[in-house]
Amino acid sequence: MSVLEVRDLTIRFGGLTAIDGLNLKVDEWEIVGLMGPNGAGKTTAFNCITGFYKPSHGQVFYKGEDVTKLPPHRKAALGIGRTFQNVGMVKSETVLENLLTAQHTKTGYDALQAIAGSGVVRQREKELVARAEAILELLGLADIRDRRLGALPYGTLKLLELGCALATDPDLLLLDEPSSGMGPEESHQLGDRLLALRKELGVTMLLIEHHVPLVAAVCDYVYVLNFGKLLAEGDADHVRNHPEVVAAYLGGEAPEALAQTELPDDQQALAEATS
Amino acid sequence: MSVSTPPVTATLDVRSERRLGIRAVAALPLLALLLLVPAHSDTYGHTAAYAAIFVMVGLSMNVLTGYTGQISLGHQAFVGLGALTAANVVNTGTTAADPFMFGVGIVLSAVAAGVAALLLGAVALRIRGLYLALVTLVFGSVFADAIFTLPSLNGEDAGVKAYRPTPFSSEYRFYLFALAMVLVCYYIDVCVRRTKVGRGLVALRDNELVASAFGVNVLGYKLLGFTISGAIAGLAGGVFAFWTQQFSDKDFTAAAGFNLALTFVVMVVVGGLANRGGVIAAAIFFALVSPSTQVLAWVFGELDKFFGLFGLHPDLGNFYFDHKFYISNLIGAVLLLQTVILNPGGLGQVIRPFARWFAGHKFTLHDPDGDGGVGAMEGSSVRA
Repeated sequence: MSVLEVRDLTIRFGGLTAIDGLNLKVDEWEIVGLMGPNGAGKTTAFNCITGFYKPSHGQVFYKGEDVTKLPPHRKAALGIGRTFQNVGMVKSETVLENLLTAQHTKTGYDALQAIAGSGVVRQREKELVARAEAILELLGLADIRDRRLGALPYGTLKLLELGCALATDPDLLLLDEPSSGMGPEESHQLGDRLLALRKELGVTMLLIEHHVPLVAAVCDYVYVLNFGKLLAEGDADHVRNHPEVVAAYLGGEAPEALAQTELPDDQQALAEATS
Repeated sequence: MSVSTPPVTATLDVRSERRLGIRAVAALPLLALLLLVPAHSDTYGHTAAYAAIFVMVGLSMNVLTGYTGQISLGHQAFVGLGALTAANVVNTGTTAADPFMFGVGIVLSAVAAGVAALLLGAVALRIRGLYLALVTLVFGSVFADAIFTLPSLNGEDAGVKAYRPTPFSSEYRFYLFALAMVLVCYYIDVCVRRTKVGRGLVALRDNELVASAFGVNVLGYKLLGFTISGAIAGLAGGVFAFWTQQFSDKDFTAAAGFNLALTFVVMVVVGGLANRGGVIAAAIFFALVSPSTQVLAWVFGELDKFFGLFGLHPDLGNFYFDHKFYISNLIGAVLLLQTVILNPGGLGQVIRPFARWFAGHKFTLHDPDGDGGVGAMEGSSVRA
């Protein structure tokens, strides 16, 4: 059974069809990439899957259950974790507090017990802190435990956001451009990290990513969107040599030669230039 | 860009017994201030109890505006509803309240205001900013007009009498009761902030999308924030009814009510948004300069005496008596401007080094979080 299955997903904003009949599937233990030029509808697809947008048409199945209409917090509780394109965390809190906030649905006590200061709460809070510290250890961020987010560099924030997403204890993790703001070396490390996370925690992942070497390194399967429609799908090699994909990224008709050689290097140069 | 981070500047020192000893000694004057000074006379006790009521309202605003990031310009309605409920439960006439009914009245004051806040929250769920401010403002004044002026509930001109039960009849004893209620509210505030409830509220204040991605039920938690805040304000109102020993609609309607609502908002900003200690300090200050207490009258009287030494007779005492509402409001307005322009962290920012020291850290004026502390809560996080 697939962990995530999207059937015929369509969403319109006024006259604009942002996603048009998208079908995709993520099986257990898979890392699946979602690519496409800017404005292709990748993040919109994430927002439909996680419940932030209500699709106009189509369904989202999570572990075989139709979860299309569930609000985001219910989906988070079911085990769909996500990160945001521009670092989604609680800015005014410390690193540790963010990781505690992310464990909101796993606290094991309810709001009333919390307000009344029940003894269960203290015990459970200790366990939450221990788990948060374990995640920081795992990501090599233990020394910034008590820092506020405002003072941290962007790359650290991206990594920490991944930590927060892990703290929600997801079975399915949706990562929106996890390597943005990272150089080639760091995004290579990120790739290793994602593979390690899958191995250690058994997390299934769907990631939006522009960095082709990273996609090639970690993704078992890749979907490419353009103008809200599925352009191509297959393994990374198949997709990056697909003439229409190259055309979508670079514009116009794709010359045969370009399709076969230049794209990965191009992407790498772009990543270096923007990091 | 490197993933490695700058060195950590925050270092926690080990709590030694000697240090704790110093802190305990430093806490003694505070404790004396809290327990002995109000015992000095009935006026002192009466004033201190009023300050305790303000502290409760401050904590209530701290939960709603500080943590949840929702503004309320109608908070006097919750206080008033608490007072109305408590007074009508005991409705003593000329005798002292039955202690049992007194307890029931206090509890019901919190319940009634909590329910009202839940309803307001439900109406205000999906609105924010200017519209939320407007809705709470209208709620406050309509509530005041519609319910507080019902003759069957407000005892008409005479008001509803709420004499204290005998154990709390003296001003000092009643102050101790009010102080106990403050401790209850303080405890709730601490519990909220330290658990998933407070983290959820702060998360939705900062970013509702992130909060819901973390699994926080944003709508539910907003309602929870409103309800907790309303219940605490109602409790303050219940205590207020026994402080004045009656419910009178004039305390909460028209200009007096609006004055209160504004004071509550100003108080929480001057104290420092989401800063419990600062809000408490600001609440005490605003209670003391309120026209309902005699502190400013005393200050102006003393000034008269001082000028009298030089043969001057400005008659500031009478000046104050004629303008006391303006003077209190002016103090609030000046402090608000000072805070917003020069000191956005509020009073809490100023007392933070001391608060940290009391909590067992090394005393330092330098901010160990490295972001000026203001980042802890930007004013813009409040949806208004």
